[in-house]
Amino acid sequence: MWRRIFVVFAKEVMDNSRDRRSLLVALIYPLMGPLLLGLMISAVVEVVTVKTEARVTLPVLGAERAPEFVAYLEGRGITVTPAPEDTEAAVRDGELQTVVVFPEGFGELFRAGKTATIHVVSDSSNLPGLIALNRMAALLGEFNRQVWGQRIKALGVDIQILRPLMIKSIDVTKGGNIAQILLFMVPPLLIFNLFMGGVYLAIDTTSGERERGSLEPLLINPVERWGLMLGKYLAALLFTGIAVAVQLIAFKVVFQSAGGSGGFNFAEVFSAVTLLAIFAVTLPLMMVAVGVQFIIATVTRSFKEAQTYLGLLPLVPALPGMVLVFAPVKAQEWMMMIPTFSQTLLLGQFVRGDGVAFPDALISMASSMIAALVLIFIAARLYERENLIFGE
Amino acid sequence: MIDVQGLRKTFKTVTALDGIEFEARDGEITGLIGPNGAGKTTALRILYTVMRPDSGQARIDGFDTVTQRQEVQRRIGVLPDTRGMYPRLTAREHVRYYGRLHGMGGKALENRVDELFASLGVDDFADRRAKGFSKGQSRKVSLARALVHEPQNLLLDEPTNGLDVGSSRAVHQLIRDWRDKGRCVLFCSHIMQEVAAISDRIVVLSLGRVVAQGTVDELLRQTGETDLENMFLAITQRAESW
Repeated sequence: MWRRIFVVFAKEVMDNSRDRRSLLVALIYPLMGPLLLGLMISAVVEVVTVKTEARVTLPVLGAERAPEFVAYLEGRGITVTPAPEDTEAAVRDGELQTVVVFPEGFGELFRAGKTATIHVVSDSSNLPGLIALNRMAALLGEFNRQVWGQRIKALGVDIQILRPLMIKSIDVTKGGNIAQILLFMVPPLLIFNLFMGGVYLAIDTTSGERERGSLEPLLINPVERWGLMLGKYLAALLFTGIAVAVQLIAFKVVFQSAGGSGGFNFAEVFSAVTLLAIFAVTLPLMMVAVGVQFIIATVTRSFKEAQTYLGLLPLVPALPGMVLVFAPVKAQEWMMMIPTFSQTLLLGQFVRGDGVAFPDALISMASSMIAALVLIFIAARLYERENLIFGE
Repeated sequence: MIDVQGLRKTFKTVTALDGIEFEARDGEITGLIGPNGAGKTTALRILYTVMRPDSGQARIDGFDTVTQRQEVQRRIGVLPDTRGMYPRLTAREHVRYYGRLHGMGGKALENRVDELFASLGVDDFADRRAKGFSKGQSRKVSLARALVHEPQNLLLDEPTNGLDVGSSRAVHQLIRDWRDKGRCVLFCSHIMQEVAAISDRIVVLSLGRVVAQGTVDELLRQTGETDLENMFLAITQRAESW
């Protein structure tokens, strides 16, 4: 029996490796996620590095009205440059990130010891603008406190009375790099791809085979129907595995070229061991994915119908991961029982280098494996049915 | 050797087979004929194991088509109702695939494929992919994959449907050759002339029943007709007026 299952497997692999669409889904689609993420990382890294490490220039309008402030900035290594008259337009067009404006009369009020207004013009809808605004707020806050301290001191009051709290924030993120948030995107991309990789094969070898009319003659061969199904299943699983492997390698290449920046070393995200561990942890999920694909492709009436359902399918398991990008949860044991969700959590731990608990991985793999076996059993039962050759 | 007893099959409200009985012997060509919807394809589908009868029994070389499915499958070569090809596989790969599914392999299989291709005239396109095959070419490859394991029983559903005269004649010759090797051939068709021309015995189906069987001469005598078509209409219309 196993020899004949292998015959079916080998035929489907050969047949589909000649198919442009199968290859596209298994070899090219997986590259999209890593490429996109790579672009985002390099964009973010660039912004963050430029703003934190290079010398910063700050456009100021009406600098002559506040020589004290200019001196304060220069003391911090910031170069003050003149700003155009229409500051708002310049910021809106993205020409400048942020501009400080000292309105007329600022100097008189300031030197008289009154509250003087300044304007900070920025665009918070883009990331560099937001970062610049944050830095600006910190600088102005500090300047505010300095002046305030001097004025209080002149009155002979101890400044500490007026400053009950000294706030220092400690960020525990490794490296504290905003680019790291993008790593949360890796699990949903992997899960999506995992549900996509073998989909074309699953359709082609079941509803496709029926639609071509080649299923009926195939069923007359002396092979148990579950054997035929299993051979096809294994071929689709192989293509899924290839798609996942291609994507993992692509991620590695992308992260390696992103290199280390801002204290976080992307190059270390995917070591060869981590890659293998990820592959092992996701293998039971691949079996689940192909099982679901086979069941759907078997009960749908036509190639097109199967394609419609299975085109949407990858979105469903990828969704929890998408949510986790914005609202991370702490992994708990019961979560490890849920196929796709457990892998999403485990992948997150792998990618962020948090360390994966072995029992967690084991529970996840075992529960998904059981789910996969149930799905395979159902698919095999569907193959036994008489109306297999006609569709539901 | 095919033996059919009391086969019944219903699809929802339609009775496709209403207790048919007949046999097809080794060394004979048995023609199954009937108007469209008479139940020919359903009967064949039960014989070649892709359908189960509601009641009744079909045996091939003594093996039951439901309970001994694989034994039956080893002994039949089939040109089924749907006979699609894999567009990305060559003619040779098609036949090789089926040979392997029958447990063949190695040199023996390659020799068998060569021999079949030579006799069926597939050599010219043996290594071309099936996409773009003409009807005649696909039919030859379908027949080759049905014959690769040298089955004792040959079941053919409308084997010449859609073929030109030359190709039809080649198929008829193949069927006769198979019979002359002492094997059992059962084929169905809705064309009376074709069935009469090559069958040793004829089984006439109408509305899911066997309404007549025998040699051409016997059927002509029974109906008192001299013309094949009139004889066919006489038998089947009698059935429909029931």
